[in-house]
Amino acid sequence: MRPFIQFESVSKAFGSVTVVNALDLAIEKGEFVSLLGPSGSGKTTILMMLAGFERPTQGAIYLDGRRIDHLPPYRRQMGVVFQNYALFPHMSVAENVAFPLEMQRVPRAEIAERVERALDMVKLKQLKDRRPSQLSGGQQQRIALTRALVFEPSVILMDEPLGALDKQLREHMQLEIRELHKRLGLTIVFVTHDQSEALTMSDRIAVFNAGRIEQIDDPQIIYDTPRTRFVAEFIGETNLIEAKVASVDDHVARISLGAGLSARAHAGNGLSAGQTASFSLRPERIRLGAVPEGSNALDMTIADCIYHGDHMRVQLTRDDFSLVARCERLAGNWTVGASVVASFDPSDCTVLTQ
Amino acid sequence: MKAAILRERSGALLLVSPVLVFMAVFFLWPLWAMVTAAFVDDAVSKVLPRTAAIIVSWDGQGIPSEAAQKAFVQDLTAATDEQALGEAVRRLNSAASGFRTLLGRTIPAVKAASEPAQVDLLTVDPRWKDTRFWVALKEAMPPYTDRNILAAVDMKRDGSGSIVLEGADASAHRLIMLRTLLVAAMVTIACAAIGLPYAMLAASLTGWKRSVLLLAVVLPLWTSLLVRTAAWFILLQNEGLINRALQAIGLIDSPLPLIFNRLGVVIAMTHVLLPFMVLPIYSVILGIPGNLMSAAQSMGAGPVRAFWRVLLPLSLPGLLSGSLLVFMVAIGYYITPALLGGANDQMISSVIAFYATGTANWGLAGALGLILLVVTTMLYTIYGRFSTSSRLPGA
Amino acid sequence: MFRALQFTFGAAIVIFLLMPIFAILPLAFTSSVFLNYPIPAYSMRWLHELTTADVWRTSIVNSLIIGGGATVFATVLGTLASLGMRKGALPMVGLLRTLFLLPMVVPAVVLGVGMQIFLVRLGLASTYLGVIIAHAVLCIPFVIVSVSAALQGIDPSIERAASSLGAPPVTVFRRVTLPLAVPGVVSGAIFAFATSLDEVVLTLFVAGPNQRTLARQMFSSIRENINPTVAAAALLLIIGTLCLGGLAALLRWRQKRSALKTAPSAI
Ligand SMILES: Nc1ncnc2c1ncn2[C@@H]1O[C@H](COP(=O)(O)OP(=O)(O)OP(=O)(O)O)[C@@H](O)[C@H]1O
Ligand SMILES: [Mg+2]
Repeated sequence: MRPFIQFESVSKAFGSVTVVNALDLAIEKGEFVSLLGPSGSGKTTILMMLAGFERPTQGAIYLDGRRIDHLPPYRRQMGVVFQNYALFPHMSVAENVAFPLEMQRVPRAEIAERVERALDMVKLKQLKDRRPSQLSGGQQQRIALTRALVFEPSVILMDEPLGALDKQLREHMQLEIRELHKRLGLTIVFVTHDQSEALTMSDRIAVFNAGRIEQIDDPQIIYDTPRTRFVAEFIGETNLIEAKVASVDDHVARISLGAGLSARAHAGNGLSAGQTASFSLRPERIRLGAVPEGSNALDMTIADCIYHGDHMRVQLTRDDFSLVARCERLAGNWTVGASVVASFDPSDCTVLTQ
Repeated sequence: MKAAILRERSGALLLVSPVLVFMAVFFLWPLWAMVTAAFVDDAVSKVLPRTAAIIVSWDGQGIPSEAAQKAFVQDLTAATDEQALGEAVRRLNSAASGFRTLLGRTIPAVKAASEPAQVDLLTVDPRWKDTRFWVALKEAMPPYTDRNILAAVDMKRDGSGSIVLEGADASAHRLIMLRTLLVAAMVTIACAAIGLPYAMLAASLTGWKRSVLLLAVVLPLWTSLLVRTAAWFILLQNEGLINRALQAIGLIDSPLPLIFNRLGVVIAMTHVLLPFMVLPIYSVILGIPGNLMSAAQSMGAGPVRAFWRVLLPLSLPGLLSGSLLVFMVAIGYYITPALLGGANDQMISSVIAFYATGTANWGLAGALGLILLVVTTMLYTIYGRFSTSSRLPGA
Repeated sequence: MFRALQFTFGAAIVIFLLMPIFAILPLAFTSSVFLNYPIPAYSMRWLHELTTADVWRTSIVNSLIIGGGATVFATVLGTLASLGMRKGALPMVGLLRTLFLLPMVVPAVVLGVGMQIFLVRLGLASTYLGVIIAHAVLCIPFVIVSVSAALQGIDPSIERAASSLGAPPVTVFRRVTLPLAVPGVVSGAIFAFATSLDEVVLTLFVAGPNQRTLARQMFSSIRENINPTVAAAALLLIIGTLCLGGLAALLRWRQKRSALKTAPSAI
């Protein structure tokens, strides 16, 4: 039994440049999967291959057990939401939403009813006779979404749909899309380069780098135990420090960090003693002061303390070794130059092969 | 993958091909026809193919051999296309006067003969003893000629075949070309002198004032060229508004001659072509960041220096492409000089039109047209290099 | 001082540019046989002459026939070509575009000589078809410029969206591309018609006496014996082209406005 959507060693090259490289990706029905990666990493290309606007140079794409990579876009039954909405400027809102239903030759009366219902769902019924040019960005976004949903496609594809909205509206729309996904049981493939968007919305995140998947997991695993240096750096903020592996024992590694410091950390795959590796530690996992049982503890000096409103960023140093910690504002009163013990649990940090 | 690209490409080709064919047939081919008209000279050799084959080896002394004369008679007998024959006669007569009457006697005699092979030309008409006619006949035989293109620049081949200048009184094509360039240059300078400050003024204004200035440029562009020419005709004539006004305020006693002379042509052409100067300059000036002038002034340049050192150099590209455009259009101008100019103000287009429609001398019209076409194409290529968009304003 | 100079200069040039147009119009209503000011009395005499005299009336009809024919030819061909050159699927599109715009550049007299020679050979000289074809050659560049601009303004993702919503290519073209290109096609057609209406030189070369257009008739009338019918014809042409120009400007403005409003950056 194949997964609902499957990329089977799909490659895509434009001329001599390979943009997507032997991609394997499986997405289950009802899942919300985000494709996350830096600009130019091939996210749009993957989405366009799924929608049918690009053809893979190699490999196969399956939908619901059927091979689809030879099908033209209009036979694929996928709702696509484009970054700039791509509403038809010469049609009213209602005509825009009715368009996919007309293409499916739904009877007229039913079209009217379904358009009505769909617009009701996004609370824009009163705008149905307007032209897209008479709508705000958020309203256009919602109409584009409605248009992609109304013909009940098997998959919804979104390419940075919220990129053009301001922060507040973007957060609101994130919740709205998430809610629709839950309520209607939609399968959504969502392209973004905003990591916090991916973290809050997705069931799973696929992190891309240069046309390859670096890691695909649920948001918590991606954040807590990044599998590669790239993922650790790309998602959230981290202290990434070169370290020497002293020993590895049942996924716990002993490492020396320099300046005479050592710690225990969760060991990534393929790690062996004697190796030089990268140690990743999230700033908010560092405690200053108290040292609970079984934690790593490092004696450091406070080099700087930066106020960030709801939290503080504390710069810690010891000789040429330095760390950034993120602390609650009320957690203590840090004075620059004071000595302090920084502690963190071995399960909260990871050692990765270079 | 390849197939998809191929499909898209052939679809695009299918869409483009009607215009491509249309333009090839009705634009490029006519231009080619004009060019060939200047060089092809087969009116005689088409009608007299046998003669042509033999007479080339004649040395030009005395009269051609018996065989050549036989071939000539045979050709005349076989020539049934009256129109083509007429063309050939006209061509021969222009090379040697008297040929028309000679052939007028010979052709009916040859055609009436029961045994054409026995016809003796010298008994039909003694003028066939004259070497002059036979030389003209021989020289009319080669199917290509440089006669027209040489004539277009007032040159010809003398008896020995070397290229020499035409006699000073024979033709005046060089003079007309020079005049064309002169008038075009005058118009270009006038347009530049008016257009540059005008475009700067328009760019420096805002609101309705700018709109009025721009509208004044665009409105004439939208008005029929003939209407504008007719209007200048009315304004410039002796009893026209301008002369009347000048007389009324007592500046002049008798009307100034404004029409049917160089002045009238330049005024009207400046009016017609001014928009082509103003619009490129204006768009270039608009592209100059507005704070550049203030920046220059803040660095200590006075307004005049800021103008000389900043605004003027930056608007030069506009001035250059505007000037090229005006000059290019001006050298091919026909209507305005034809209607407002005198006999001494006719430009190359008028001469081409005269040869083509007046005397049906396609060869010379084609040769002069070729020269104009080449010059225009060169100017357009330069224009395309200098201006960012090859689009013409007003289009 | 500088201000005053600026104003004087601006006003003088505006007058220079506009005076001829405004000077000729009142003469359409003169009662005199001379094209002169002052106008002794106003009358409809010459407008009446324009619409009743045989030469003028047929020339107006000819202008409409030839203009209409050339517009149809140029609009259909130019629109097809613009569609074909749009996606850049063809090699050497730049060269093609230059070729198609060349009739704007080649001096009319040169093209006229070539056309005359060529149409005589085809047996199309002094026929309506010949004149229509000659005019169409001049009109095609205007259509291509206008339609290409309209097509360039269409966001490709709009067509992709239509396709993803289940529209096959033909439907995408019919329901999305074509409606969005229509303003460009219409203004191209307007430009084409105006160009044909104003064309004299090619007409001089290829038209016979039966195909005299209004512009051609004005030309010979100015040349041979100018009379106020020319002013009446000018009035007709000015009103005609201004209406056409206004229509084209309106279309352009609407197109620009809708393009601006749908671009997300302009929200
Ligand atoms: N039609 C094309 N022809 C040639 N190269 C292309 C084409 N489309 C995309 N590319 C290249 O493929 C690479 C991946 O592009 P893609 O649009 O998939 O990136 P992306 O991850 O969506 O980036 P962004 O976050 O900036 O949208 C880029 O380097 C781009 O230059
Ligand atoms: Mg992208």
